[in-house]
Amino acid sequence: MTYLSLSHINKQFGEAVVVEDFNLDIEKGEFVSFLGPSGCGKTTTLRMVAGFEIPTSGRIILGGADITDKAPNQRNVGMIFQAYALFPNMTVAQNIGFGLTIRKEPEAAVKERVNEMVSLINLEKHANKYPYQLSGGQQQRVALARALANRPQVLLLDEPLSALDAKIRVSLRAEIRAIQKRLGITAIFVTHDQEEALSISDRIVVMYEGRAEQVGTPFEIYNFPKTQLVANFVGSLNNADAEVLDPANGMLSMDGVQFKTADADMASRRKGEKVRISIRPERFSFAADPLKDNVVDCTIENITFLGSVVRIQVKVGNTKFNMDTFNNPFLELPAIGAKERVMFSKEAVLVLAGQTAEELATAAYHNR
Amino acid sequence: MKQSSTGRRFSLWSWVWFIIGTIYFLVPLYATVRHSLRMERDVIGFKAYESAFADNNFWETFLLSNMLAAATIIASIILIVPTAYWIRLRLPQARRITEFITLLPFVIPAIILVFGLIRIYSVPIGIPFTEIKLFQPLTTTHFGTYILITAGYMVLAMPYMYRSVDTGMRTVDIRTLTEAAQSLGAGWFTIIARVILPNIRSALLSGALLTFAIVVGEVTLASFLGVDAFGPYLFLLGQHRAYEPAALSFVTFLMTWLAMGLIQLVTGGQGQAAGSH
Amino acid sequence: MAQTSLPLAPVKEPSEWKNWLGVSPFFLFAIMFIALPSLYLVQGSFFNQEGQFTLQNYLDLFTNPTIVSAYKLSIQISAATAFGGGVFGFLLAYAITIGGLPRGLRSLLITFSGVASNFAGVPLAFAFIATLGRRGFVTLFLKDALSLDIYRAGFDLYTFWGLCAIYMFFQFPLMVLIMVPALDGLKREWREAAENLGASGLQYWTRIAMPILLPSILGSMILLFGNAFGAYATAYALTGGRLGIVTIQIGAQIRGDVLHNPGLGYAMAMGMVIIMAVSLAFYSWLQKISERWLR
Repeated sequence: MTYLSLSHINKQFGEAVVVEDFNLDIEKGEFVSFLGPSGCGKTTTLRMVAGFEIPTSGRIILGGADITDKAPNQRNVGMIFQAYALFPNMTVAQNIGFGLTIRKEPEAAVKERVNEMVSLINLEKHANKYPYQLSGGQQQRVALARALANRPQVLLLDEPLSALDAKIRVSLRAEIRAIQKRLGITAIFVTHDQEEALSISDRIVVMYEGRAEQVGTPFEIYNFPKTQLVANFVGSLNNADAEVLDPANGMLSMDGVQFKTADADMASRRKGEKVRISIRPERFSFAADPLKDNVVDCTIENITFLGSVVRIQVKVGNTKFNMDTFNNPFLELPAIGAKERVMFSKEAVLVLAGQTAEELATAAYHNR
Repeated sequence: MKQSSTGRRFSLWSWVWFIIGTIYFLVPLYATVRHSLRMERDVIGFKAYESAFADNNFWETFLLSNMLAAATIIASIILIVPTAYWIRLRLPQARRITEFITLLPFVIPAIILVFGLIRIYSVPIGIPFTEIKLFQPLTTTHFGTYILITAGYMVLAMPYMYRSVDTGMRTVDIRTLTEAAQSLGAGWFTIIARVILPNIRSALLSGALLTFAIVVGEVTLASFLGVDAFGPYLFLLGQHRAYEPAALSFVTFLMTWLAMGLIQLVTGGQGQAAGSH
Repeated sequence: MAQTSLPLAPVKEPSEWKNWLGVSPFFLFAIMFIALPSLYLVQGSFFNQEGQFTLQNYLDLFTNPTIVSAYKLSIQISAATAFGGGVFGFLLAYAITIGGLPRGLRSLLITFSGVASNFAGVPLAFAFIATLGRRGFVTLFLKDALSLDIYRAGFDLYTFWGLCAIYMFFQFPLMVLIMVPALDGLKREWREAAENLGASGLQYWTRIAMPILLPSILGSMILLFGNAFGAYATAYALTGGRLGIVTIQIGAQIRGDVLHNPGLGYAMAMGMVIIMAVSLAFYSWLQKISERWLR
């Protein structure tokens, strides 16, 4: 049952179109991330749900009510800011109780709710401290409690972890997700960090230049990206240009090396057509596996030890691919310059919408 | 009602306050200019200005004030820059007491300062508890008095000069510059003269302009110490003439405006407040 | 094997005292031209005419009618212009920051505030004489255009209200210069967070913005108080010493011992220093608080 619906949301600032035809239906209790680079419109979209920006066109429906034009202090959505935004002149307890105090709830009820929230975020000992006495992570937890104390219908988080240290980021995002699950509250999480989005979301919306490129579960976004942009932004990817040899069988040729793809749209392509292919680094392997359709010759160019992953750069034809294998201290790795055979399945070869190197070069030539 | 809290709201009251403020600022200035242009009966003219600038005393006192300002600025820079530098680099423990000292001129206004200065320096300076006299009283010679008043001006300007220089040094990261210069073989004097000073130019300039504004208009120290500076001259002029003082007041205003405008230019927007009252 | 239990003498870093040498010119200057003059006054205030140590001078501050009325007048003028200048300066600062006026007006006002707060002294007195004196521009304008004779109504530039009007000219610009950065320091997110939690604009201002700004506002007003209290030249240029504020009394005392008691004169000066020191202490303390919140 759709709880929050954004339909045909557009936002323009003067001439600049910042959000273009954004559509999304979110279920109650769902955790959705908006993922994308700076300037892609994710924060603007979030702020439209919060009421700090008004859409140029489109409607926002929450719990059955149209809130598109409602003032921000009438929407009952809880917002968490990147810069915490705790009120410096109030203690932790006063900050958390602020929304309830404003609504003139009885003092006893406020106190009870505040205590409940303070233990939810495990800061009982700090309830009477001022924000400047707390660390960044602690402040953000207080911000979370403050938003939740009001029992909002939706929780909106605007890059809440970007200002924090790496270790805190990891533990706090897990904590946020755990609390969200426990309370069953609907949440929208804006981030540019793909690891964050992948690890805690039910669904991800990948955005680019104001448009939603793809909506799906983390698994879908990672393994079945629909466009180059999505594939490149989430995880790392090997890209190369290839030519269609046999559309019916999905046969491609790259630098004379032939391999198959399982891409569904292959059948509609012509022989000789240039396409851009992408393969995830972890889909390559040296092991002999009869299920793997593609076996090609390669030369070992470089080996980089990254800890749990070993990145081997192989040259197939004239193209260099990165191949990731798990670290195994007892497995002998090939020498640099050695000739080996790598294998990958035809499902691993993604043919995505996006421009081939040739097309990009042509476009640049015409735009110069 | 549609409203975006990110945009600036139009406010009627803002304009009201702004207009009232503008009127309060501009009316006295207008009155001064108007008065200064009416020296010749029924004619709007610059006679008052001609007369004021024709007076030799004006030029003498104005020149003297400028020279005192220059002396104050130079002496302040020589005193304060190495001190601020040293404290940043080598002696952070001294920071608190130094900042305290630079706040003292707020607690000891000019009138009190001159009170003390006169009492102390109108008697010969000697080593305490002995009969040995080192200097004649500063107040008995012209040169001595000039030294005394320059020192007084340095005290008045100190808070602003020090804060300017300190902020300038903070922005520039003198520690790294010093280490780089040392590794290239520079000695202390070279470092201060060729590395530090050029890099805090804008801070020095804004401090100097502020000092200039303070010194040229200063009246209290000058009149009690008997120095023929521009301030006392202007005051005396006001006792005897009607139109020339208005003309010179307006000129003073323009000079202050010029100095402040230059400071704005140099520092990029931070106003500074000072002044002899 | 006998172990020595004597503590080692602390190794004196040779450069330690050399560092202090580097700042010694500054301290020497401060001693010669700040500390000594002040100490002379302090010391003088504790001695009576016979050269004996006494606290009577300080007690006399409260009984000598000239001195008492001088302090009263100074405090009144300083408090009035601190409050008036503070309120008006704040409103003006608000107008050019949050209040929605065009950006160009903001830098114009800041420059002008810098000029006005420095324009005190003799020229300012002359400017106001030309404006509100008996034959001043505004005086005559009101008489001709509105048939309002302010002097008949009791106003006199050369008294309390006149001096207040003049002091305001450099007081509220000073307030503007201090408050603009403070108002800039109000983070936009605080307002948004407050709205998000259900607060109206008024509730945001009364519960969050004003409390955050209060230390700044109070501190600045105290600074303004001290500023006015220590002013001398403007008042002297205006009234030639007739207006009996503390600074002018001290000036008279310097020229010639009008109180017939040098120690009393020094005590009067020290009284002023004490008031200024207390003001400065409060200002510093309030500044620290506001910096903690507005960083």
